Amino acid sequence: MAAARREPEAQMADQALIRRIMSGDEAALGLLYDRYAPVVYSVSNRILRDTGAAEEVLQDIFYQLWRTAGNFDAGRGSLAGWLLVTARNRSIDRLRRRPAIPDEDVAGGEIASPLNLESAMAREELMARARRAFVELPPPQREAMEMAYFEGLTHTEIAQRTGDPLGTVKTRLRTALQTVKRVLTGRVE
Amino acid sequence: MKEHPQFDEDFDLYVLGTLDLEERDALELHLTHCAECAPRLEQARGRMAALALAAPLETPPSAARDRLLQRVQSEERAERRKLRSLDAASPFWRRTNAVLAVATAALIIAIAVLSVQYHRWSKRLSELEKTEQRIEALRNQQAAEASRARAVLEVLTAPDTLKVTLVSGAARPVPQGKAFYNPAKGLVFYAANLPALPSNKAYELWLVPSAGSPIDAGVFSADPRGNGEVVLPALPAGVTAKAFAVTIEPAGGSSAPTGAKVLVGIVS
Repeated sequence: MAAARREPEAQMADQALIRRIMSGDEAALGLLYDRYAPVVYSVSNRILRDTGAAEEVLQDIFYQLWRTAGNFDAGRGSLAGWLLVTARNRSIDRLRRRPAIPDEDVAGGEIASPLNLESAMAREELMARARRAFVELPPPQREAMEMAYFEGLTHTEIAQRTGDPLGTVKTRLRTALQTVKRVLTGRVE
Repeated sequence: MKEHPQFDEDFDLYVLGTLDLEERDALELHLTHCAECAPRLEQARGRMAALALAAPLETPPSAARDRLLQRVQSEERAERRKLRSLDAASPFWRRTNAVLAVATAALIIAIAVLSVQYHRWSKRLSELEKTEQRIEALRNQQAAEASRARAVLEVLTAPDTLKVTLVSGAARPVPQGKAFYNPAKGLVFYAANLPALPSNKAYELWLVPSAGSPIDAGVFSADPRGNGEVVLPALPAGVTAKAFAVTIEPAGGSSAPTGAKVLVGIVS
C-alpha cells in the first residue's frame, strides 16, 4: 500500500522535487536521494575506494543540494549531470588532497544531454553505455582513461606513471575519447 | 588560443582536467570570448558526466539516508535557533539591540539639532549675502559719483578750457548813461541802448541840484542803435549837482520833469 501511494511522487520530475525542497520539504530530498544516491555513491567509492569517505562525499553533496536548491535552473542543465560531475570532482579533490572547488554549487556549469536520468530505465541504459565505452577500449587506452577519469591525472602525470612518451599518452586519450563519444551517443561506425 | 579547438576531445580533456596547465589556460582564454564553443563545452560536460556511470554500481549504506535527513533536520533546527537568538533571545543581542536603539535615538537627535542649526546658519548666511550685496552696490555708486566729480573738476580747472557767457537772445539791452560834469566847465552826457520814441516824444536830461528844482540840461533823441548824447548844454554856472536823470517828455522838452524816468544817476 505504502509503495503504491509513493509511486507518483517517485516519478515526479527533478524540477518539481527541487521546488518542494525549496519550500523545506525534506521528503522531496529523500526522493531525490533515492533516485541518485546509488550512482553518486558508486562514483565516489570507485575513485576513493573507501566506503566511509564515499558516504561523506554523498552526504555533503545532498546536503548542499538541500541548502542551495534555489540556485538550480533546469534550463541550464540536468540535476543528474551536476550530481555526477560534483561527485567525481569532490572525490578526486579528496583523493589528491586538494581543496574543494568553491563554485561547484547546483548552479554550476551547464550539463547537456544525454543526462536525463530521471527514470530508472534511462539510468540503466546510460549506465550500460558508459560501461561498454570502457570495455571497448584497448587496454592501454582504458588504463589511460581510468587514470584520467577516476584518478584525475594529467597527461604528464599519466606519462610519468606509465613511463610512456607524453605524445603517446595524448594520442591514446584522444582515441579513447572518440570511442567514448561514439558509444555514448549510440553512433554506429 | 585564437582558433577554435578542432576536436571535441579537446573539450572532453578540459572537462576532465587532464590538460596540462598551459593547454588548460589557453583553452580557458578562448572560452572567455567565444560563444560558438559554449555548446561544445556543454556537450563535453554531458559526456564526461555520463561516463561516471561506468563505475560499478554500489548501494550506499542503508543508514546513510537517515543520517542525511537527520543532519538536515538537526542543522535546520540549529539554523532556526540561531535566527531566534539573533532576534532577541540572547543577552548579547539584547544588549546590542539596546545599544543600537540608544545610538539610533542619539543619531536622530543629532540630526534634528544639526538640521535646526543648519537652518539658522543658512538664514544667517543669506542675510550676510544680502548685506554684502547692498554694500557692494553702495560702493559702486560712490565710486561712480567720485569719478563724475573728478571729471567736472578737471573741466573747470584745466588751463585750456574756454569760458563763454551766454545770455538769452530775446533779452532787451539795458539803457545806460554816463554823465561827465564839472560845475565850472560844463556837462557831457552819453547814453546807449535807449528805446526808440514816437515822434512826439523826446528824451530830456535833468541836472538835480543839491538844493532846488531839477534844471533842464538838454533835449535829445536816440539814433537807430539807441545812442544819444548831450554835450555842454547851457547851464547856470557853479551849480552843485546831487544827481542826473533822463525822462521822456513831449517833443521840444518840458520846463520841469513830467514823464517816466528812464535813467537816474546819484552823484557819489
